[in-house]
Amino acid sequence: MGFLDALLGKRKIAGPAPDRLFALTTAYVDLESAQGVRTRGSAGIVFQQLATADFTQIVTETEELLRGTGAETGSTIETRDDQYGYKWIVVRDDDIDDLVVSVNTVADNLSMGGYADRILAAVFAFEDAQKQALYLIYNYKRGSWYPFAPAGGEQQRNTEREFQLKAQIGAGLPMESDLGRWFPLWGIPI
Amino acid sequence: MARPSSFGKDTGLQARMVLTMFLLGLVYVVFMGVLFASGAGAVTIVVLAAGLFVVQLFASDKLALRAMGAKEVSPAEAPELHAMIDRLCVQADLPKPKVAVADTPMPNAFAMGRSRKSATVCTTTGLLGLLSPSEIEGVMAHELTHIANRDVVIMTVASFFASIASMITQFGFFFGGGGGYGGGGGGDDDDGPGFLVVILVSMVVYVISFLLMQALSRYREFAADRGAAVITGRPSGLASALVKISGVNEKIPTQDLRTAGEMQAFFIAPVGRRVAGLFATHPPMEQRLAALQRLEGQLQNQRLATAA
Repeated sequence: MGFLDALLGKRKIAGPAPDRLFALTTAYVDLESAQGVRTRGSAGIVFQQLATADFTQIVTETEELLRGTGAETGSTIETRDDQYGYKWIVVRDDDIDDLVVSVNTVADNLSMGGYADRILAAVFAFEDAQKQALYLIYNYKRGSWYPFAPAGGEQQRNTEREFQLKAQIGAGLPMESDLGRWFPLWGIPI
Repeated sequence: MARPSSFGKDTGLQARMVLTMFLLGLVYVVFMGVLFASGAGAVTIVVLAAGLFVVQLFASDKLALRAMGAKEVSPAEAPELHAMIDRLCVQADLPKPKVAVADTPMPNAFAMGRSRKSATVCTTTGLLGLLSPSEIEGVMAHELTHIANRDVVIMTVASFFASIASMITQFGFFFGGGGGYGGGGGGDDDDGPGFLVVILVSMVVYVISFLLMQALSRYREFAADRGAAVITGRPSGLASALVKISGVNEKIPTQDLRTAGEMQAFFIAPVGRRVAGLFATHPPMEQRLAALQRLEGQLQNQRLATAA
């Protein structure tokens, strides 16, 4: 948002940045073979729920579409409402490619309905050799990835592990360079 | 294909804001002309005021937070609030501001800080207790929009010359009458308008710019309401928060907050008794609710139009 928009008090919400979601499929190959970080077979996409009739319809249609394709690929779909009023569509599948494609389907469907600006993030669940939970979060507004490693205790994150994960991924993913934008997502339902 | 957006534009609001800023600028240019024509005494005042202005810009947020008895809270102290603001910042694509809470029963919230990086949003325990999560979200989105729109800087800059005018009106006789400050021993009015004229002009400038600034402040409030609706996608959440807050604010006595007049501008709702429309920093509740209602209408109906 430019200076003029600020001066005039215009508030336009950022739409999605250029899509870098699919970068994960190639980055994961390295991550799995070299670093021993494996998918936990689940991913989710989180978005604001609008109380309009066609929004509800788009979400329902998307779910049905995913269930249809899931019958072939073996993915399962569920929706969750989190404690902050956001909606999650959660996909479970052991194949990371299927997870990425399913998440992208949701984003596409919402975008086609004109609701692209309501999508917050996509989250992919991983674990390392010590079975510690790790997440990679894709920020749709900025088109960048960042690691998120919750630690034990309420809203504690393991920043050290996040930095390690970032280094392990290296140039494989377009990472968020501004650490202030590594927003945690608490209550991830995967 | 153009992506349909959930909300239309508000060109009228932009136009009114531009007109107000233009008029304010015009008043100030004329005022500066008169000040410089009048000689050294007035220039001294401008320099002093510029110093104060810088102090205000850099220290006002800390002073305001202290005056409110607000203290910054960590994610561990206020997990729910932090998580909510995290998500709003992702949605609004803003860096996360500091989060502060003031321990007072008065439900209110305000934003502070001259830049997006150094901003603070502050809320009160009263507000957190009174409102539901979606209402708090509306209020926080309103404050985040103030930060995104740089309202603190814009209103501080807008008030710069108004505060000079007010200083001259109050202390002008001291500077001007009290012995031609740096004037080189000449008479009172040998090379420009006399100081009495300057004082009179200052009074007029002060009154006009005060009214314009209040108008500008009201427009910025509308813009922030609108921004909150756009960020959350729930105009009605903020509307219902405003209704609740104004209901309580009319009942709870407000002495402890009256002292900090400067801070009023960035409160979510005005504190204290109702004043005449022209002097209000915030638009009347009915108008704000009507504007939010229109946005909700756009949200609900525009879809049918685009789908058809």
